[in-house]
Amino acid sequence: MDNVILDVRNFNVTYVNKYKKVYAVKDANFSINRGDSLGIVGESGSGKSTMAMALLRLLPEKSTEISGSAYFLGKDLVKLSEEELKKLRWKELSVVFQKSMNSLSPVHRIRTQVEDIYRVHNPKATREEIAERFIHLLKLVNLSDRVYNLYPHELSGGMLQRVSIAISLINNPKLLIMDEATTALDVVTQGQILDEVVKMEKEMDMTRIMITHDMSVVATSCNKVAVMYAGEIMELGYVKDVLKKPMHPYTKGLMASFPSLKGKKEKLQSIGGFLPDLSKKYEGCIFAPRCSSAMDICQKKPPVIEMENGRTVRCHLYGGER
Amino acid sequence: MKNDSFICIDNVSMWYPAKGNRVFSGEKRYVKAVDGVSINMDRGEILGIIGESGCGKSTLGRILARLENPTGGDVYIEGESTGNLLKKDPKAFRRLVQIVFQNPYDSFTPRDTIEEILMRPLNIHSIGKDKDERKKIILEALESGGLHPAEEIARRYPHELSGGQLQRISILRAMLVEPKFVIADEPVSMLDVSVRAEIINMLLKLSREKDAAVIFISHDISLTRYISDKVAVMYLGRIVEYGEADEVISNPRHPYTQALISNCGSIDPDEIMDKIKVEGEPPTPINPGPGCYFASRCFKASKECFKEYPATHDVGGGHKVACDRLY
Amino acid sequence: MIRTIVNDKQLLFGILGLIFLLLVAVLAPVIAPEDPYYYGPDVLNKLGENGHLLGTNKMGQDIFSMIIHGTRTSLKVAVISAFISGILGMLIGGVAGYFGGQVDRAISEFINIFMMLPTFFLILLIIALFGNSIYNVMVVIGITTWPSNAKLMRAQALSLRERTFVKAATAMGESRLQILFKYIIPNGVFPVIANTTVGMSNAILTEAGLSFLGLGDPNIISWGQMIYDGKAYLTSAWWIATFAGIAIVITVTIFYLLGDGLNHVMNPKRSKGKGV
Repeated sequence: MDNVILDVRNFNVTYVNKYKKVYAVKDANFSINRGDSLGIVGESGSGKSTMAMALLRLLPEKSTEISGSAYFLGKDLVKLSEEELKKLRWKELSVVFQKSMNSLSPVHRIRTQVEDIYRVHNPKATREEIAERFIHLLKLVNLSDRVYNLYPHELSGGMLQRVSIAISLINNPKLLIMDEATTALDVVTQGQILDEVVKMEKEMDMTRIMITHDMSVVATSCNKVAVMYAGEIMELGYVKDVLKKPMHPYTKGLMASFPSLKGKKEKLQSIGGFLPDLSKKYEGCIFAPRCSSAMDICQKKPPVIEMENGRTVRCHLYGGER
Repeated sequence: MKNDSFICIDNVSMWYPAKGNRVFSGEKRYVKAVDGVSINMDRGEILGIIGESGCGKSTLGRILARLENPTGGDVYIEGESTGNLLKKDPKAFRRLVQIVFQNPYDSFTPRDTIEEILMRPLNIHSIGKDKDERKKIILEALESGGLHPAEEIARRYPHELSGGQLQRISILRAMLVEPKFVIADEPVSMLDVSVRAEIINMLLKLSREKDAAVIFISHDISLTRYISDKVAVMYLGRIVEYGEADEVISNPRHPYTQALISNCGSIDPDEIMDKIKVEGEPPTPINPGPGCYFASRCFKASKECFKEYPATHDVGGGHKVACDRLY
Repeated sequence: MIRTIVNDKQLLFGILGLIFLLLVAVLAPVIAPEDPYYYGPDVLNKLGENGHLLGTNKMGQDIFSMIIHGTRTSLKVAVISAFISGILGMLIGGVAGYFGGQVDRAISEFINIFMMLPTFFLILLIIALFGNSIYNVMVVIGITTWPSNAKLMRAQALSLRERTFVKAATAMGESRLQILFKYIIPNGVFPVIANTTVGMSNAILTEAGLSFLGLGDPNIISWGQMIYDGKAYLTSAWWIATFAGIAIVITVTIFYLLGDGLNHVMNPKRSKGKGV
């Protein structure tokens, strides 16, 4: 299908060292269409960042085992060689990390760094071309063009993060991955950057994966959401379905931990227990020990149940064997 | 002005000399981290202080706990200056005022077990007759904080416990001395979302059951609204808005508060907030002014706003706003 | 912990070497074939002659036994001077770093002045004034080498002061001295310990150096003293000085390995690659 930008099937990421294996991502399955914005939500240990880094093969080769497939524009990212990946990175696929501000060289002006980056894929570009292109992007992220000639230390955290976003867009990638990109920023800046990103997406026909622990980021800027826990995708679907009517007990618990800004104050819930040891394999549902709706059958691993409207839930409550 | 509230924060300021103090130009430069904050609190009241990084809320928290001394103004508990209380009887003061820090992973010395850590305050303040009684107190405290089995947790080292457990122990440690005033400085910012409720509920219990006044410092507005009775919004070292939590958050009157709240995402995808754009970046708190500190970024600012710092107006029911462009 | 030790080659050899030295020192009377102070009839015997494994010296003392007993001296010197140096450095550095302000400024100046003094000449001066007993030597080495420990401890204290648990302790009502001894020093002492092991090897070398110059304690069996004695016989009875020299080299190496290994273990900056 021409519409599918990324199709991930049976994706597993395992960290291996001398003493043990850590199963960071298990059996992930999802696909993203053009123009989608998928929010991957999870807490610490959920595997969300690992998954993103693994898709781009940014994890150390020696200690990571990746299996499964991840078809991006017809090519399987898992099987590509480093050479072929280099051609894709930053041209078709780019990333903005949480503290991207730190990835800029403090001793070079922004313009110098952008020129370097652009020339990786476009060696013959002239300075004027690059400047024109980048200043256009700066406008999209609400920065004035004088930023182009400044040094990183002359800009604030919010401005630097916006510069990073602009840099990630410089080659008009088909897919942008933002890994907790707004977490380190203050509320006002975060709100505005999210707005800018959503607007920009429409203009640039871009697809986005947003990795975050903050449900409100997903609610305001994504159309699809995947909820991850301990390396597994527990629930997946359209934001308007999943957030209004969460099905998986973990999703419900997560939603109940976010107090509302207005209206009635519902008692704030927490999810008791703690994260399971990711170096072990589990027979049953990995969330069962902390689940208030756990049943006997949860001792067996629940399959991924497909519901209507592209929604999937990994929970016995919704089907599978009884 | 000093009064007879339980806690009176009276025009507290914290000015740090800025680098490059230009003696020649005559004007000394200061980083005005906290610049004239006055609030009153009752027993058992939970006050939320919200604001973004750099607004001075953490500095204020440290001043209230007397980990730093203010350069101006003072804090009074039951009419007496905390500076004096600390000087007169440091141990008594430390029983009266406690603080819970943001980072639970660093709040305990890595070399002691939980039991040893909790024994320290009991020993210092001679709580409990002997070692056995103190051990009992510790185990009871752990149980009441939901840390089971208490015996086992007491034997563990901090690095063996999760962030949520550690922060609960941090609050329990503070509660052991029966404080009347607790400052919680971003107590859940470093914790996973699903364990925040435990901490919040513990703080609520602390204030309701022990009648302790609690200050909840946070940048998370919805969380602050949930726990607080009253809320104060800080910007560049000053309080720009103050009032009942629900009132301030559902009906913000100061332009900064309005912008802040409008940019807060809701988890309800149907709720579309019109985000107020705020131009520019928060300036540094070095010699801000002379007019309203927010004027340069304010969507309502007029020429007068740059001349003099606005007065604080009461818009009804104790809801106070430091803005002259309310109507 | 065993695993950490085994994994780091330096630490492993350092600890094994240390155990070896300790055993030799403790079991000296058992291992040494003769009393090293026995001025026997066999003078300037060659290797193996008359049952003397490493020969004898001008006074008829068995070299092998002297080497064995010399281990005791060397270890004593190493431990006692390093101990004095470590304790002084820890306390002075800890106070400077934690208390800060004027106290820190005054102490730092003091440390700087001390570091400017040429230590070896200071030692010579003190030995010259107060005599060359081995205990003087140990104390002198201790009180001239503490500045490096103090600087390390001070740096640790400065950073530990800002840690949350130290602030929590202040808020809990602990006194400054309590905090210094309970939180700052125990948590900051690791680099001092590693530095002290290196200090130990320096102490042994210093003592050897002093003895070599004739300023050592002639009444004690020490390797440095043996080299001093054997200086005149280097061409004729080379074994008197040489084996003592080898013993020094081995011992110093063991302490360096130990210190290096400890540094590795205490510095978790070894990049093993990012984990989960």
